[in-house]
Amino acid sequence: MNPLRDPQDRRLPRTPEPCALVIFGVTGDLARKKLIPAVYDLANRGLLPPGFAVIGFARRDWDDRAFTALVKEAVEQHARTPWREEVWARLAGSLRFVSGSFDDDDAFDRLTGTLDALRASHGIPGNAAFYLSIPPAGFPTVLKHLARTGLAGGAGAAGVGTGGVGTGGNGAAAGPGWRRVVVEKPFGHDLASARDLNTLVDEVFSPAAVFRIDHYLGKETVQNLLVLRFANTLFDPVWNNRYVDSVQITMAEDGGIGSRAGFYDAAGAARDVLQNHLLQLLTLLAMEEPTSFDAEEIRYEKLKVLRAVALPDDIRAGTVRGQYRPGWVGGQRVPGYLDEKDVPPSSTTETYVAVRLGVQNRRWAGVPFYLRAGKRLPRRVTELAVLFKPAPHLPFQPADVEALGHNQLVIRVQPEEGVVLKFGSKVPGTAMELRDIAMDFQYGEAFTESSPEAYERLVLDVLIGDSTLFPHAFEVEQSWRVVDPLEQAWAGTVPEPYRAGEWGPRGADALLAADGRAWRRA
Amino acid sequence: MTALWDTTGTEVVRELAAARRSDGVTSGLALTLVAVVDERPGARSTPVKAVEDAATIAAAAHPCRILVVTRSPVGRNTTPDRLDAEIVVGDRLGPCEAVIMRLQGRLALHAESVVMPLLAPDVPVVTWWHGPPPEQISTDPLGVVAERRITDSAQASDPVAALRQRAVDYAAGDTDLAWTRITGWRTLLAGALDGPPGAQPQPVAASVAAPAGDASAVLLAGWLAARLGVEPERTELPAGGLASVRLGLAGGEEIRVGRDNGTALLERTGREPRTLPLLARTLGEELAEELRRLDADQPYAAALSAATGVTGLTGRPAGRVHTWVDPAPAAAGTGEPA
Repeated sequence: MNPLRDPQDRRLPRTPEPCALVIFGVTGDLARKKLIPAVYDLANRGLLPPGFAVIGFARRDWDDRAFTALVKEAVEQHARTPWREEVWARLAGSLRFVSGSFDDDDAFDRLTGTLDALRASHGIPGNAAFYLSIPPAGFPTVLKHLARTGLAGGAGAAGVGTGGVGTGGNGAAAGPGWRRVVVEKPFGHDLASARDLNTLVDEVFSPAAVFRIDHYLGKETVQNLLVLRFANTLFDPVWNNRYVDSVQITMAEDGGIGSRAGFYDAAGAARDVLQNHLLQLLTLLAMEEPTSFDAEEIRYEKLKVLRAVALPDDIRAGTVRGQYRPGWVGGQRVPGYLDEKDVPPSSTTETYVAVRLGVQNRRWAGVPFYLRAGKRLPRRVTELAVLFKPAPHLPFQPADVEALGHNQLVIRVQPEEGVVLKFGSKVPGTAMELRDIAMDFQYGEAFTESSPEAYERLVLDVLIGDSTLFPHAFEVEQSWRVVDPLEQAWAGTVPEPYRAGEWGPRGADALLAADGRAWRRA
Repeated sequence: MTALWDTTGTEVVRELAAARRSDGVTSGLALTLVAVVDERPGARSTPVKAVEDAATIAAAAHPCRILVVTRSPVGRNTTPDRLDAEIVVGDRLGPCEAVIMRLQGRLALHAESVVMPLLAPDVPVVTWWHGPPPEQISTDPLGVVAERRITDSAQASDPVAALRQRAVDYAAGDTDLAWTRITGWRTLLAGALDGPPGAQPQPVAASVAAPAGDASAVLLAGWLAARLGVEPERTELPAGGLASVRLGLAGGEEIRVGRDNGTALLERTGREPRTLPLLARTLGEELAEELRRLDADQPYAAALSAATGVTGLTGRPAGRVHTWVDPAPAAAGTGEPA
């Protein structure tokens, strides 16, 4: 035990042990715009250990200095926290580059050597996290080499390590140190491919050493959903089908697909966001309370509720797919999906999806969960709305309560993170007329310190070894079990067009109207 | 922004309510911050601007209501009672509600009569003295009503004596910015000692190099004494701040952290030296750190006790009872408001 670390001392941040972050695909967008700036921001906030290094691996003919220049540019352009020369100086001395392609034996041997050299120069005793920011096609090769060179740490042994400083944990960190692998979505294309991917990764790394990033779980508001539900008594009694009428989860973007046609056209909105972000949000909203905030406990509860997710009996009637046409969004004229670069003119890929799911357990039976996601919608918003049942009897004149809707508790994930509570109240005046009032608690305004980017939180958790915010392989597979039947039922159908700037195709409104409900305008 | 000259406490309450309705309001308050910036006799002006700037930075992280209180010293000159107030909601102080008040005359001895109705209902109160700390916090009603009290010994004329007085006067929930200022050092030192279990270095000696009257250095030495069970040597420097800390390890190795402007050099026998950032923080950032937790700070109490030799701090109750001291007879010349 480190004598200077008092568990009661809350000012000293939880920092990882000395370790290295190896980034494969370091020249890609994700690394430059999210990962590297997150590392800088962590350093700026004092959350990185004295012994820390970043090793980039890519097929460029660079040396350490050229790589340092790339990192500097990425930090200058995308970092959240202000530029500080001292922080940069500290990082600049800890950057290394290994040039090579994924199937290059020598390159991986050099990577091993670079990691070893850090033992003496930076006091890093072999701990390393491998971030695979590469297309899934590259995984088998990279994993094979990590296994061959022993970089992956050997059969299951060094997977977990000591779990970061101040958290205690199982020993066995002498020797090669812990080794972890971080993968980004997409986790496969369907259940079969996801399983193959998991098997592949599991052959090389123990399950506890694999971290799958769903960056939504790193957002403050999403974590706050768990706190809202489980730290307070106020919302607990009504969080069930006796009081909840329906749940609407919306993930709307005003942007188009940009230059991602290559990936997007083969995937579609369902695979892109429904399978991961939306289902994760549903899980957090619907899960039972874990008995402790241990990664394992939370994971079991999440899996339990995922397994209870039920698809509509008639999938085509209970789901809607859309594809945006040209239109105006945010004051600008934008092209339709079929006019986007690299999209084949006969594409039937959906850019909008709305589904009605159910959760078949005692708590939620009978409550429809409406999930929708789309591109080129009027504004960018992600929210979870819990709509409550109307009162069984209103002692007011029917005319006076016409304007009342459902009571709502809305958790807004982005933008303007916050919580909205909507309920009926009186219109000031002599008559007893009622209308809904929305009480708005905005984290973004109240805690205006710009919330740490999701990637900062997640990268730190990988280095510390805390897997609470990372979906487990079983969750990923179970999520595919929900989406696969949808994709199968949709095969051969054509998505309904909607104009860019509208809230989706008419069919989506009809989907809810059939149940006597309407979409909340997010 | 509303300015009220020569007004009453009731008027201030009313105007704040009106401002909250019209100017938009923070949704969700975590605490009320009472910033006490008393006028010092002989000083030409009070650093209210510095307080406003710091409170703005702190309020960005913690939604709060800020009450800045300036009290004129009550001396032999008979100043008439007078209250001036400025209400700022949103606007220049950032996303918070703020009331900046100046109290003169005997009203200054009864600041709580104006401040109490302005405290946000049922949220914790934090009182921060920007200036020399009061000798006995129990004589200041603004300190008695607070769950957390933040003093700044570095601003006393004799910081180390002020720190000692803080220990004598300590109650659970007290803290001092001299302690906040060494969080960066403590993080580096703790990080320097991290290692794989079984191979963790155990320090057997320590030394701190800093100027003689530096309260932060005294607290750092106290912290090392409390945690490591060793008595740190003190090396006196002529000027500047905390300069370096050395830890001697069991096997003869040494760890040294030395500061050079905004960076620290971490050296350890047999390893390459590492440079790490050790940035000086603004007053607002230090205040923001203090507002994160409102319970008793046990590590601070332990360090304070070890540094000043005053024992029994952890057994002291939280909270105090107000003791009235009439300053008029005692204030002959010093004019300290009680």
